[in-house]
This record gives sequence, structure tokens and C-alpha cells, in this order.
Amino acid sequence: MKLNVIKHGQIYLASSALAILVGLGAMLLSWQSLGSPLRPAIDFTGGTRLSVELVCESSGNCGQPIDVGVVRGAIAEKGYGKATIQALGQDGRGLSLQTGDLEVNERSQLQANLEEILSKFGKIDVAKSQIQRVGPIVGNQLLTSGLLALLLSFVGIAVYLGFRFQIDYAFFAIVALMHDVLITCGVFAILGLTMGIEVDSLFVVALLTIIGFSVNDTVVIYDRIRENIKIFGENYNINDLVNISVNQTLGRSINTTLTSMLPLVAIFLFGGATLKFFALALIIGFSAGVYSSIFNASILLAWWRDRSHNSLKKSLTS
Amino acid sequence: MMPKQTRLLAVILVIVLTAVFWIYKSPPRLGLDLRGGAQLTLQALTNPKQGITQITPRIMETAKFVVEQRINGLGVSEAAVQISGDDQLIVQLPGINDPAQAERVLGNTAQLEFRKQKMGSEGRLGVERQVLLEKELKQRQLESQLNLSGNSEELNKLNEQIDKSKEDIAKSQTAIAELFDTTGLTGDLLKDAVAQPLDAGQTNWQVALTFNDKGGELFAKITGELGGTGRSLGIFLDDKLFSSPSVGPEFQGKGITGGTAVITGNFTLDQATELSLQLRAGALPVPIKIVENRTVGATLGADSVQSSIIAGVSGLILVLIFMVVYYRLLGVVADIALIVYAIITFASFSLLGVTLTLPGIAGFILSIGIAVDANVLIFERTREELLAGKTLYKSVESGFNRAWSSILDSNVTTLISCGALFWLGSGLVKGFAVTLGVGVAISMFTALTCSHALLLAFISYPNFRKPSLYGVKTFGKISNSSSSINSTGDKSTGTIL
Repeated sequence: MKLNVIKHGQIYLASSALAILVGLGAMLLSWQSLGSPLRPAIDFTGGTRLSVELVCESSGNCGQPIDVGVVRGAIAEKGYGKATIQALGQDGRGLSLQTGDLEVNERSQLQANLEEILSKFGKIDVAKSQIQRVGPIVGNQLLTSGLLALLLSFVGIAVYLGFRFQIDYAFFAIVALMHDVLITCGVFAILGLTMGIEVDSLFVVALLTIIGFSVNDTVVIYDRIRENIKIFGENYNINDLVNISVNQTLGRSINTTLTSMLPLVAIFLFGGATLKFFALALIIGFSAGVYSSIFNASILLAWWRDRSHNSLKKSLTS
Repeated sequence: MMPKQTRLLAVILVIVLTAVFWIYKSPPRLGLDLRGGAQLTLQALTNPKQGITQITPRIMETAKFVVEQRINGLGVSEAAVQISGDDQLIVQLPGINDPAQAERVLGNTAQLEFRKQKMGSEGRLGVERQVLLEKELKQRQLESQLNLSGNSEELNKLNEQIDKSKEDIAKSQTAIAELFDTTGLTGDLLKDAVAQPLDAGQTNWQVALTFNDKGGELFAKITGELGGTGRSLGIFLDDKLFSSPSVGPEFQGKGITGGTAVITGNFTLDQATELSLQLRAGALPVPIKIVENRTVGATLGADSVQSSIIAGVSGLILVLIFMVVYYRLLGVVADIALIVYAIITFASFSLLGVTLTLPGIAGFILSIGIAVDANVLIFERTREELLAGKTLYKSVESGFNRAWSSILDSNVTTLISCGALFWLGSGLVKGFAVTLGVGVAISMFTALTCSHALLLAFISYPNFRKPSLYGVKTFGKISNSSSSINSTGDKSTGTIL
């Protein structure tokens, strides 16, 4: 297999641009309906979330699933109208309830109410329950520190690449990284709008991991381009050279992406609920990352160098 | 086989065996999200009314002490309190499914009060204190049995006994408190309490108290009334008596004036420090607020760890199989190196005291992905060199040499992200950054030493030098190997065109 990335460069870049635009559109829609580009979890907004699961009396036959509609109505009657309630677990014997930030006594009250309402369906298994409370201060902290970490690693990577390669390499690597982050955010904006999937602090972790991984792909290709420039000396055509370099590293790019994806897909399909969407974010980001390294970062670099090469020639001849 | 390679392999073997032993002996600690329990984050708030506009490390140390005292009162085993950042405390309560009780206890401000003993209660105080001591001893014995007992019926019985013993202790404490009269000299009137050496040899210590103006006046009045009577000054923290010094007869009437006083006794440094901390704890002027609560039920934690680990491990096994199928002998080498990598990294987690959380495990699994990448880079390069017609040995060597700069650059960029996460992230995120960072650093080492040494060891055996094992048709002729050492500048690489 041989790719000619330069020849079809416009198509590749246009596909990326289209995907980003769709994502941005979803974020805009989400901004209008939710007030935020992605649906934020209580990690960022602050709030209290209770997850409970009912006791399974005999294995294999746990009893009837919880009727979420009934619980919702009963909870609203008790004065928690703003609470969001979702079913959890495959057999529908669990649910999660999310409200604004509650003090301990308010929460105990809510827990007592919930226990009473759920007693129709069974007893709550305390060892399987979960309480999450994030105060508004911490929510703000988590969001700002997450964004700051993101910004800091962009800067750190740009400086390092500028130092190890050249400024234009670093610039296009960062462009490729932005692409990956935007695509991942776009997909989660769509998921947030359609399936109510929220982004928590693990999502920020996922974005940072995507950056770290995807820059790997770009660096490996750039490393090869740099090496080939040395081998071929002054008389080379940058477009050919980028094509060669991309193809030389293609096997590695595909294999590495494949090997990092295998555990992630397994975690997404069979792993615990906490890591499910973390794994999904990484799967999307890594795919975007390997694409942007091969089809964006390298093409942009070739175009840029080709243009500056030509304008140099022009200025010399004129 | 070259002696250098043999030595290196021996060293690696020793490291791996030590690591395995280490993992067996002290496996990494599991975070509360995996073994179940409650984690509370407490925020110390400034209190401009009392003149506290900044949270100092000293305030945090005192706050930590108060929190520890209160948690100990709850009887949670293995509870831990840590200072986090400038103004937060993290409280970990393993095995707690609902920390409501702890939240209530921690939400209150510690109340320190100096009280005076009631007239005619001198004898009873001694008796009540003795009773309390015995009850506390019994409580400790019961708690130590709790850790030994395995039978659930026995456990229930013990828990009942412990609950009853706690009630008994509380009764005793109330009885003691009834022997004292309130004075209104509370913690907010105490400015400071520090441990000081009493003599030059620093074997005996005392605790020096400093009150503010109002506190000084009240303290003089109280000590004046108590001086020489034999009745003691009761120092209460949250209604519990923790010290009852007596006031010397010389202070009768006038009292201890000047707003300062010392409590003496045959204190050791530790005892004096603890007393001063207890006093300062009562004087703690900053309110503490619970800002975060993450509680995971014990079974839930175990379930999620199990399913995630099974998923991750099965994914990794697929990776190992893929490597062998695609890279043949090189894949076998990579797999061995990966297993070595995983063992060393896991051991280093417990060596470095890393607490494994769910995100931490994700970081570890991802770092294995990076470790695979290093091997893939090397082998792709080796294969290219083989296809370009170099000898096996030369190809392996230049595979490692040329992949090195890619490995370094890509790993450093990952480490930069990890650094950003570690520096700015909260507890959850930090765990991920640590495991990924440690993993990446170790992976550079194992890819370059372990894979390298193993591969050179393999190719020293003629049986392992068949081209099919490397996925190529033929190797270059031996004579080629002497053609050019500086193959990086060799135009022959261009023939891939």
C-alpha cells in the first residue's frame, strides 16, 4: 500500500475541516440549550449525585427492575423537582440521582426519602452505593486547573518541538493537536445532546492523554522527514519527501494505534462504568490523532515549506 | 553470546526477580475508589472577623490535628488525614459507605474552654478519671480483637460491645464535665500555645499559653479563685476533658496575670507538643467546610476494579498475540520486554508509594501502549534495514540507533502532558499522571536495554537467524556489513523509493 498524501491533500484537509465544523456546530447548539459547549458533570458545576443499587435476594433472579418514572414522580412530590434521575445497570435494579449541592443533613433527608420510595422495588445495597458531592468552589477549581493543564501542555510541547525541530514543525504539530481535541470535544458535544453523556474531570485527563499520544505520531513522522532531509541534502522536493516519510512510518503508525486501541476497546466494551466514556474519549482522540498526524500535520508542513521555497526562488529570480 | 549481553540480561533478571518479590511482599496500595470508602475534601476558610485573612501552614497543621482527633473519635480504622495544597485537607475513611456521621462531626468548629472545678468534687474527679481510663482501655482491647476476628457472628457481637463501650465512655465524659463550671474563657480568647523546654537539658517540657486582653483578664480571675484550693482548672475540647492542671497557692486571689501562663508537669517533648496542639486546635479560628465527598461502596469498588482489570488485561493479551503474529521473533522479544516492563513498573508503584486508583490503572494500561510503541518503532526500523539488504546484526543495531530519537521525542512530549496533569490536577487526575509518567520513564529503559540485550542474545544462536523469523526473504550478505558504518548518511536508504 502506498499513500500519496500530497496529491489528495485538499480532500484530507477538507474532511478534517468538515468534521471540526460539525463538532463546533454541536457545541454551539449545546451552548444554546445547556449554556455550555459540552454537557458538564457535577465535577464542574458542583452538585450531589447518589447512585444506588438494590440488593439481589437470590442470584439470577434479582426481582423487578425499578420503574424510573414512578421514582421520578415520587421524588418530585417530595420537593426535589430539579433532580435528574437515570436508570443504572443492565437489569435496571440501580439508579442515579443528581441534584444541586446538598449539605450533609439535606442529603441524609434525601437518602431517607429515596429509600422509602425504592422500598417498593427492594432494599438498597449500601455496599454498592456511591455518593459524590462536589462543592461549587471545587467545581470551579477542577475546571480551571483542567483547562490550565491543557494550555500548559500545549505550550510545553510547542516549546520542546520548536527546540528539537523548527518553529514551523512545532506550529503544525500544535495545529494537529487542536484538531484532535476539537474532534473529541465535538463528538462528546453530540453525545451530550443526544444521549445526555456528561464530561467530568476524567474527560480532561483523556484530552491530555490524547495530546500526549497524538503528538507521538506527529513527532515520529517529523523525525523521519528531518532525517530524510539530511539524507537527500539540498536537492529535494519537499512534497515527495513528505510522501516518502509518511509511507515509511505508516506501518508503525497503524500498528501502534492498533495496539493502544485494543485494551481501550476492551475497557469500553466490558470495563466498569467509570472508565467506559474515558476509554471512548481516548478511542476517538487516538483515531483523530493518527489521522491528523498523517493527513494534516505532514501535508500542512509540505505545503508551507513548498510555498516558502517557491517564494524564495521567485525573489531570487526577480 | 557476548559477555556484555549476558551480564546485562543477568542484571535484568535480578531486577525482575526483586520486583516480583517486592510486589508479593508489599503490593501497591489501592485507592478508596477501588476498595470502597469515603474521601472528603475539607476547605479551610479565612475569617477576616478574627483577623485571619490568610491560611498559613501553621493553621493547616492545627486544622489537621483537630480533624484527626475527631476522626479518631469515630473509631474508623486506617483513617488518614492529609494536607493538600495551601488550604485543603483530604480525609480518607476506608470502608465507610455513608460518611454522614463524619461530615457532621467535621463540620463543627472545635470548642475549647477553660472551666473551673466545682467545690467539693475533688475526690470524685479522681475516681471518675480512673473509671474513664479503664473504659478506654477496654475499648482499645475490643478494637484490637476486631482486627483479629474473622467470623461474622463474632464480629457482630464485638461491634455491639464496641458500640456499648463507646456509650459508656461518653457517659463517663459527661460525668466528668458535670464536675466543672463553665467560665466563658473559650478558645477564641487564647492567642497561642507552644511547647517549650523547661530546662537546658530539654528533657522536661512545658506548654506556654498566651491570651488576648479579654482572655488574660478572665484567666486571672479564674486562676485567682482556684489558686491554693486544690481544685483544678479543666481544659475541655469539645466537652471532653483533656488536661486538668492545678493552680499554685501563690496565685490565690490575684490570679495569673499578664495574659501569659505556663502549664508544667513532667511532660516529654511529644506530650507537650500534643497538649499545645490540642490547645491550638481549640483556638482554631478558621471555619472548615466540606467541599467534596466521593464515596464508593465496598462491593461497587471491587466490581469496577475487577471488570476494568479483566478488560484491560484481555486487551493486553491481544496486543501480545498481535506482536508475535506480525513481528515473529521480534514480537517474542517485544513481549518478553513488555512483561518485564509491566513487572518493574508495578513494583515501582509500591516502591514509590503510589496509591492505585481507577484512573491510575488506566494510566498504567496506556503506558503499556507506549512501551509497545517503542518496540514497534525499533522493529519497523530493523525490518526496513533488513529489506534494504543489510546484515541481521547491522540491521538490529541501526534499528535501535535510529529509532532512539523518535522514542525520546515522543516520550518527552508525553511526559510534558503528565507534568502538566500532575502539577495542576486534583487527586483523581494526579494518580493517572503518576502512573503514566512512571510508566513512560521505565518504558524507555526497558525498550533500550531489555529488548536490545534479548535480541542480541537471540541472534547469537544460528537457529534464530532464519530470515523467515523476521518476516523477510533473505538477509544481506556478510560482506556488506563492512561497507559503511555510517549508514545514516547512506544513500542506499533511498532505494525504498
